[in-house]
Amino acid sequence: MKRFSGKSLVVLVLLTAVLLSGCQPGADATPAAESSGIVIVIPEDPPSFNPIVADTGYDSLVMELVMLGLSDIDANGTVFPELAAELPTVENGGVVVDEDTGSMTVTWKMREDVQWADGTPVTADDVIFTYESIVDPEMGGWIPGIDYIDSVEKTGDYSFTINYASIYTGYLTQFGGEQVVIWPAHYCDASQGFAAWDCGRQPLSNGPYVLTEWVNGDHMTFTKNEKYFEEGKPSIEKITVRIIPDTSVRKTMLINGDADLNMWATEPMIAELEGEPNVKVSQSPENRWVVRVFFNLAANGTTDPVATPHPILSDLRVRQAIRAAIDVDTISKEFFLGYAKPAWTEFIREPYVCDIPRPEFDPEAAAALLDEAGWKDTDGDGVRECRGCETAEEGYVMEMDFHTYAEFGEPLELTQQYIAEQLGKLGMKLNLKVVEGSILWAASTDGGIEQSGNFDIDIWDDGYAGVDPTDFIYQYYAVASAEPDFGYNFMRWSNDEFEELLGGVYTLDETQRKQDFCKMAAILEEELPILPLFTAVNADAHSARLQNVQSSANDLVTWNAADWTLK
Amino acid sequence: MSEMNQLTSINNELSNSLTESSTMSMGVWKRFRRHPGAIFGMIVLSILLVMALAAPLSPYDPEASEMTARYEAPSASHIMGTDALGRDLFTRILYGGRVSLTVGVLVVVLSIFIGVPVGALAGYYGGTVDSVLMRITDAFLSLPSFLVLILLSAILLEVKIPYLEGNSVLTISFVIGVFSWTTFARLVRAAFLGIRETEFVAASRALGGSDMRIMTRHILPNAIGPIIVEATLEFGYAIIEESGLSFLGFGIQPPTPSWGNLLSNAQDYFVKYPWLAIFPGLMIFLSIISINYIGDGLRDAFDPNKVLSKVGEV
Amino acid sequence: MTTYILRRLIQTAGLLFFLSVLLFALVNLAPGGPLSGQGQSRHIDPDKVELLKRQFGLDKPLPTQYLIWLVGNDWMQVDRDGDGVMDGYGTRLGILRGDFGFSFRTRQPVLTEIGQRLPNTIYLTVITILVAILVAIPIGIISAIRQYSAFDISVTTFSFAGQAIPEFWLGLILILVFYAWLKNPFTGDPLLPSGGMTSIDVSGFDLGDRIVHLILPVLTGALGWIAWYSRFLRSSMLDVIHQDYIRTARAKGLSNWSVLTKHGLRNALIPLVTLLALDLPYLFGGAIFVETLFAWPGMARLYYQAALERDYPVLMAVLIIGAASIILSNLLADILYAWLDPRIRYE
Repeated sequence: MKRFSGKSLVVLVLLTAVLLSGCQPGADATPAAESSGIVIVIPEDPPSFNPIVADTGYDSLVMELVMLGLSDIDANGTVFPELAAELPTVENGGVVVDEDTGSMTVTWKMREDVQWADGTPVTADDVIFTYESIVDPEMGGWIPGIDYIDSVEKTGDYSFTINYASIYTGYLTQFGGEQVVIWPAHYCDASQGFAAWDCGRQPLSNGPYVLTEWVNGDHMTFTKNEKYFEEGKPSIEKITVRIIPDTSVRKTMLINGDADLNMWATEPMIAELEGEPNVKVSQSPENRWVVRVFFNLAANGTTDPVATPHPILSDLRVRQAIRAAIDVDTISKEFFLGYAKPAWTEFIREPYVCDIPRPEFDPEAAAALLDEAGWKDTDGDGVRECRGCETAEEGYVMEMDFHTYAEFGEPLELTQQYIAEQLGKLGMKLNLKVVEGSILWAASTDGGIEQSGNFDIDIWDDGYAGVDPTDFIYQYYAVASAEPDFGYNFMRWSNDEFEELLGGVYTLDETQRKQDFCKMAAILEEELPILPLFTAVNADAHSARLQNVQSSANDLVTWNAADWTLK
Repeated sequence: MSEMNQLTSINNELSNSLTESSTMSMGVWKRFRRHPGAIFGMIVLSILLVMALAAPLSPYDPEASEMTARYEAPSASHIMGTDALGRDLFTRILYGGRVSLTVGVLVVVLSIFIGVPVGALAGYYGGTVDSVLMRITDAFLSLPSFLVLILLSAILLEVKIPYLEGNSVLTISFVIGVFSWTTFARLVRAAFLGIRETEFVAASRALGGSDMRIMTRHILPNAIGPIIVEATLEFGYAIIEESGLSFLGFGIQPPTPSWGNLLSNAQDYFVKYPWLAIFPGLMIFLSIISINYIGDGLRDAFDPNKVLSKVGEV
Repeated sequence: MTTYILRRLIQTAGLLFFLSVLLFALVNLAPGGPLSGQGQSRHIDPDKVELLKRQFGLDKPLPTQYLIWLVGNDWMQVDRDGDGVMDGYGTRLGILRGDFGFSFRTRQPVLTEIGQRLPNTIYLTVITILVAILVAIPIGIISAIRQYSAFDISVTTFSFAGQAIPEFWLGLILILVFYAWLKNPFTGDPLLPSGGMTSIDVSGFDLGDRIVHLILPVLTGALGWIAWYSRFLRSSMLDVIHQDYIRTARAKGLSNWSVLTKHGLRNALIPLVTLLALDLPYLFGGAIFVETLFAWPGMARLYYQAALERDYPVLMAVLIIGAASIILSNLLADILYAWLDPRIRYE
């Protein structure tokens, strides 16, 4: 038998490697994807085409390719009609408010030239079918404001009215936007139930594309819908959605030209892609996700801020000190690479922008506030104790848990670590916890950390979809929302004046709303139950050859897929 | 044989030689010394250990950020480069080594703590005790252990149990240890089965020795060889499991560095900053290879007639 | 033998029942739960939580949930619309009748979900194992025959190294080298694809394309097994070589090669075959890294996703199927062992 030396094998491999890398060509690598089609990479399968069921974002992404709602929202926050012929308003008579009963009737007129992919026209029957499927108590789903609706009535083949029991300010996008679409009455099997029906996974298209293949866990193929109503659109023949779990592989595929769109680009990713000639990044003109610090005003483990106030955080001066000690500019510059924009109030998006002066970063003032509040480091261990403070026993150590969630990724975790370090220098000891979002936000009955009150401070991002902040503000700041599992006021904050103002914004009077929202902003600024810090970027990375991609804070990047073209 | 699955047949081979290895002592060390791989392993592992212990001598703070020095490539001042917060990676790796090696030790201690008594009781008393204990062992062996590990650590990440909060070093060691004791139980049981009927055990019993005394003084010492070998392998196994859990995001949580979470933190940007992924992985590799060599040497030393029986399951 | 197998099967059923109770409790007691916000919405509206609880059957006490999971609810009255009035019999059959429920995430039957993924995992696993064995057998044999030769020493060193490399690290490095760094000198494309089972623009079966996509995942998955099996085979070969009957056969003047192939290899392979049967289920668990890194649409990734989103029915199904396959492969290993080695008899 021939003797075989291990050494020669190593030499051979090295030689091959050197040869191959030596031949590395320049940056003008030809894209491997077909010229008439594009490839979108996402980390996991969409559960279905019906975002109401699981709302992972991936369902909305593919839903926007094949299905239409009554209306949608563009990147600037303007609502535009899709299946509707025009948007009903008070001015054009589409919305009638009954001042006596406080009820409201909205009349929708639909386009008559939209067809399902099988040639059947899209009519008011489909809208009524969709509504009835959603409200089915057994197999239905839930959409915001659905409880305000008394009935939906057909008034013609292409028109219908929605009768609301009270004023619902979000009516324009209730059957549209990134979540809700109209389903085909003649194709979907109602007996299977809205949440589980087969047409949610093998949809009949009325949008720009048609699903032709779905290999679970691997890829989905979409081809142009020949019956799409907009003349000459879409221009791209084929869209393939590939499932690539690993973040860095998705990114490298984009660089190598194997992918054309990688949604939800993070700040470090944008910075990394900046020098790549084949890659462009589209940023949304508006930013939805505000990274914010939440304070538990009740003691850790409790939910009543009056009976068991938080020994540290229930003192406003401590909250002010924390705000003054967080260096938003450094965080933005270093971890969000300059893409994060400072935000210090809830009202930063049109049409409800309020003029609140920006707070200053001032660690010395922060230290002074803590001293004043009676928190001092008397034993020299670097951590303050209660020495004459009003909220805790004498000698209580200023040490707290500081949560965040893991899915956001590195920038938020680095931010958490950095803030803890900054506050640590100030003499406030924070123990870092990184948990899954599903655990942070779960109901108290399922052991959710926030709802159960099992936290001191946490940091994460939230913001409202669409253009109407009313529900969002109610869920976070209303007294009723402070009850565990009834809302997200897990700060357990309450303010009588704010509560009254909140009751008044359920109106269609825009001037009134703008005024009231800004009064509410002033109260929040005074009391600081939440510290808005900055907006995380809303962006999507795409190949240079893919044109007209517009990232949007109001929807998934595929919202205007019909307008995309290839260079 | 019938009631045990074959996994243990490999272990049985190990314990078959128990009676021979009762005369261990000087011979073991002599044979161990002649195993070049084992000596290599000892040297490398000792270096890693000393480095981990000497971590505080590093001029850099493992947790303090340095905003002007983020993502620096390896250089003279930072021999392994710096991470996302500008922290010296070499220093972080030294501290991470403490954590990873501690996990290894804790897992071994825990699995010996559970496995040895279980095996001893089952082997010594036999009968019902034996079958109950072995049924439990079987149940543990029947679980797809890594999948359950993922689930358990995902759960424990949030359960509030004193000392086991938030996937600390202790939690992760506990989770891994709970699934690692079965091999010890089977090894020790086999040893006890073989020895309890021998004359000298009967003699001590006749002399009025208590069961406890007979077990710990007379039988257990004979099983020391295989236990040590298995402990060595388990040590390496635990380090790999911890890093695997970290890779999936369920391991020890930052800012406490472990080799596993240093590697997983580097994963998102490994194309641009490859050193962040290469060095922690290299440390895991070096420690496992030396541990395996030591285990191999120990096996040969305890059991000179066997060339090789088993090297970790990973 | 038949009685023996029968007895083992009954024990298996008992063990699985015990494990299912244990796992059901573990899975369902986990904090978080499937009813919390994820992806787009940070929170889930309280009204929606009520609805989902009812649809998922989570509004019932845990023992009832387990009972339904095990034997179904088509024999009991259920309240489908949440108005407190019973509406008729349920539709679940329970796992004993092959109904693993539906996935909370996709509302698809769990068996459909698993059915879409399991073949891919088996496909990759079988090829990985085949490659591992085909490489390990000659390596193991040669290094046993030429014990302490240069080949033996380098192979032994390699196998120690192979077992010490964490799989996910190896995968990362391979992607780095073969996808990000090295380019095909003729086309300028990356040398190897980063993942997936096939190229998206290939329709039908293309052997070349399949092989190209297998290289990195198989290499990542197989390295540890090559190391482990070659070491194992080397040692069992050495055992056999030192047996008396081999010495006798040699003394009788039979050629070295025929002695080794006729007597040695056969006896050395017996433990390997049984070991293989034992290792198969572990390969599924370990596939999680390969499947995640190389975008392989397999079952381990399905499990990982389910663990993140607390998709109880999927978690339960994968765990129970996993446990059953481990127990059955143990049985298979015992039977194989007896069949291959006539010296072993089970009463």
